Amino acid sequence: MREDKNLQYKRFYRVMPLPSAMVLLLLFFVPLFFTLSSAFFTEQGFSFSRIAGVFTDPYTQRIMLFTLLQATLSTLASLLVALPGAYLIATYSFRGKRLILALSAIPFVIPSILVVLGFVIFFGNNGFLNRILMALFELEEPPLSILYSFPAIILAHTFYNFPIIMSLVSSYWEHMDGNCETASYTLGATKAKTFFSITLPRLLPAIISAASLVFLFCFNSFAIILVLGGGPQYTTMEVEIYRQARMLGQSGSAAALSLFSILVTSILLLWYNSTQKRLARSETYRNSNRLNEKKPATLFGKLLALLYTVASFLFILGPIASVVVRSFMASSSRSSAETFSLKWYRQLLSLERATGHMNSALQALSNSLLIALLVALCTVPLALTLSAAIRRKEKKGSMLELFGMLPMTVSSVIIGLGYYLISAKIRGGLLTSYSLVVLAHMVIAIPFVLRTILPEYRKIPDSYIHSSLTLGAGPLRTFLLIELPLLRGAMFTGAIFAFALSMGEFNATLTLANSSIVTLPIVMYRLIGSYNFQGACALGTILIAVCAIVFIVSELAKGGNHGR
Amino acid sequence: MADNGLSCSLKASYQDFNLDVSFSVKSGELACIIGPSGCGKSTTLQLIAGLLPLNTGQLVLNGRDIAHTSVHERQIAMVFQDYALFPHMSVEQNIAYPLKIRKVGRVKRKEKITRLLSMVALEGYQKRKSQELSGGERQRVALARALASEPKLLLLDEPLSALDAKLRKHLREEIRRIHDETGITTLYVTHDQEEALSIADRIIVMHEGRVMQEGTGEQIYNEPANIFVATFMGEGNTLPYSIIPKTLVNTGGVTPFVFKPKEGKHTIFFRPEEVLVQDNKNLPLAEYLVHLQFKQAEVVSCEFQGDHYRLVCNWEGYSIISHCSHRPQARTVTLGVRIKHIREYVDGESVKKTLLPSVGE
Repeated sequence: MREDKNLQYKRFYRVMPLPSAMVLLLLFFVPLFFTLSSAFFTEQGFSFSRIAGVFTDPYTQRIMLFTLLQATLSTLASLLVALPGAYLIATYSFRGKRLILALSAIPFVIPSILVVLGFVIFFGNNGFLNRILMALFELEEPPLSILYSFPAIILAHTFYNFPIIMSLVSSYWEHMDGNCETASYTLGATKAKTFFSITLPRLLPAIISAASLVFLFCFNSFAIILVLGGGPQYTTMEVEIYRQARMLGQSGSAAALSLFSILVTSILLLWYNSTQKRLARSETYRNSNRLNEKKPATLFGKLLALLYTVASFLFILGPIASVVVRSFMASSSRSSAETFSLKWYRQLLSLERATGHMNSALQALSNSLLIALLVALCTVPLALTLSAAIRRKEKKGSMLELFGMLPMTVSSVIIGLGYYLISAKIRGGLLTSYSLVVLAHMVIAIPFVLRTILPEYRKIPDSYIHSSLTLGAGPLRTFLLIELPLLRGAMFTGAIFAFALSMGEFNATLTLANSSIVTLPIVMYRLIGSYNFQGACALGTILIAVCAIVFIVSELAKGGNHGR
Repeated sequence: MADNGLSCSLKASYQDFNLDVSFSVKSGELACIIGPSGCGKSTTLQLIAGLLPLNTGQLVLNGRDIAHTSVHERQIAMVFQDYALFPHMSVEQNIAYPLKIRKVGRVKRKEKITRLLSMVALEGYQKRKSQELSGGERQRVALARALASEPKLLLLDEPLSALDAKLRKHLREEIRRIHDETGITTLYVTHDQEEALSIADRIIVMHEGRVMQEGTGEQIYNEPANIFVATFMGEGNTLPYSIIPKTLVNTGGVTPFVFKPKEGKHTIFFRPEEVLVQDNKNLPLAEYLVHLQFKQAEVVSCEFQGDHYRLVCNWEGYSIISHCSHRPQARTVTLGVRIKHIREYVDGESVKKTLLPSVGE
């Protein structure tokens, strides 16, 4: 085929994503290849024996069933908690509503290890909830004993995930055209009849979509099960993969288990994608229905709204606040009561001699910050060039988009496993190990950054680029002078996202890291494991602070953007 | 250097249609491409600009073959339908953009921006952001920016379609004025007949990827080369040839027409303003002027248009539109149209008149 020079600007966009596609290929597929090859290759060569062995073993079968069971129950529980909230938010305006919506973003952004810690501090036997109840009712024994049990897992998943359903469903609900309901009333249907025959069926796609997302999260949940499950009795696939690989040294069967996990995750993602598409088709989106909002009319309604607000506050904010409060408490001697103290922060900053895992805390903090910075800096150009190519709307675009989202089909534990298998092969020094952590974090962050940049990129009309070209600017200059400046905000948000993800990343890091690697979440986990909760809280508070700063900065940056 | 404007012959095929056009625009001329949506006029523009690949065909601008030159080296500026002002730049920065690329110095740049802004009647708008501008102002800035690149050819892609009617009229006068001041060769795409007729030196009518007719506004309107152009450029009446024996007012034994039933579908065409309307039976047409007379035409509707009434009549199942100066009193009227105002088409293509004008004309 003849090279036509007047296609030059198109060729520019075709060539641009190649480096990042290569990098992604290496970062994602090489570890996956290592994982899968150790699932199929035994010392005797290629065989299905490992796979067959894993799938026929009653122990692993039980784990698979349990994984599905806990995910189902967690999803149902989240729905149960979230739907009344979605109803209240969508139909009424009441005090605290904005705050609930704002707070519901928290579980999206806080790392799972923090959730675990907050849960222990808040709901634990010596936790704030028990202390309050004991003080209120003058009890001798803590009334709630839910830690390290099946209900604890479900409860933690619910707390972690119900805001997702609540905000997704309520925002869909709010934007739904209310005229259908009004029409139903005028046709003589009662309120209840209208709700069940009109509103609920219209909401169903949104509910199903949100629920499948939550199911996916619960299926791949790791930290919560690892800490709160408290043993082999409540083990899920992800935890089992980690246990087999890192505790029992059976990386082969871990890899075989991964295969099952990848399969289920892919099916769930495909399903979720199709529900999203159905969602986009099913309703015409109305800009806002704010006028239809009313205050709860009856006393009962008011009470319900109040109760829900208070409960949401308690459950979302309670654990987080407890972490912060607890980090400032210490008892001076073994028997005395806990008072305000900076002991843990002094230990953390090495101002005071620390014991156990606390002595690596400062190192962990600086490591985490450095890793997160590197991840943010490397991920954004990759995602940017990929989305530049995807935007071109050619056939290859959607393939490439799928390609960029691929890492989502594999849980972070499995990505960690892949990198662990690589590190076992190359046996590098400490620097190599840290590099692998950075690479694993990048793989996890890319789909999220891509999802931040791509929609913004798609908003840039072709005519901007065409204008610049016809005004005499070449493709590269057009990219640098027009596209890049317009994407500054999205790139910044993407970087923030990557940074926060990396700061809180626990699953992959724990799976791939040897004991010499310390990051903030890893040290937190070790502190929790050795029952030094206050120390973990101090680290957790710093993590919260970093995340908070980062998100406040990103919100401020958003405000300063060009409104287009 | 031969400064002889643009001449192009473009061939391209796409999923749903094929484009095959050739035309030329003389140096300093303002030419309009007009056609219904989907006729390929925007595609033509993008092919000329180099935004779409040209596989077969020729593209010569001022004697230079640019068919395989990259977009940014063609020296063809384009104003887009949505103006495409860069939102992260002020008005000044937008206009400075092509100047910076051409490495115009700071002082000269400022001068030129001031001059261009005064040309488009936006003095003092330098520091404004594009979001703060109205649609008409954005249009002017886009035009100034395109002119700043000192293009050999200016392409305007439906530049006024997003504006309201009054502003549109005003701005098209402005565009014509600016064109006359700069003398830049311009190709203007529109779907609005009135716009094309009023602004263009020459009009190129396109339909389904082909040029239907090329010529001045008068030629296009008065001598449409085919039924498509005839009906697209303004209103008209299309009737089958077979009604002629019935309606012809034949005078003085002169055979006024030679009826040649050829192969194909014969039709006649005339404009509403050529139709005479009479309440009484007699038309104010002299008997010796050969004309068609439609008796007992039933008035279907009568719309007041300000300077005239637009009358739709039903005559033996055919709908005939006419313009008249008063509202008819009766329910039926007599319509007449002179032979010299009638154009004939065979299979949609214009043919030489078979209807002969009467003696004395």
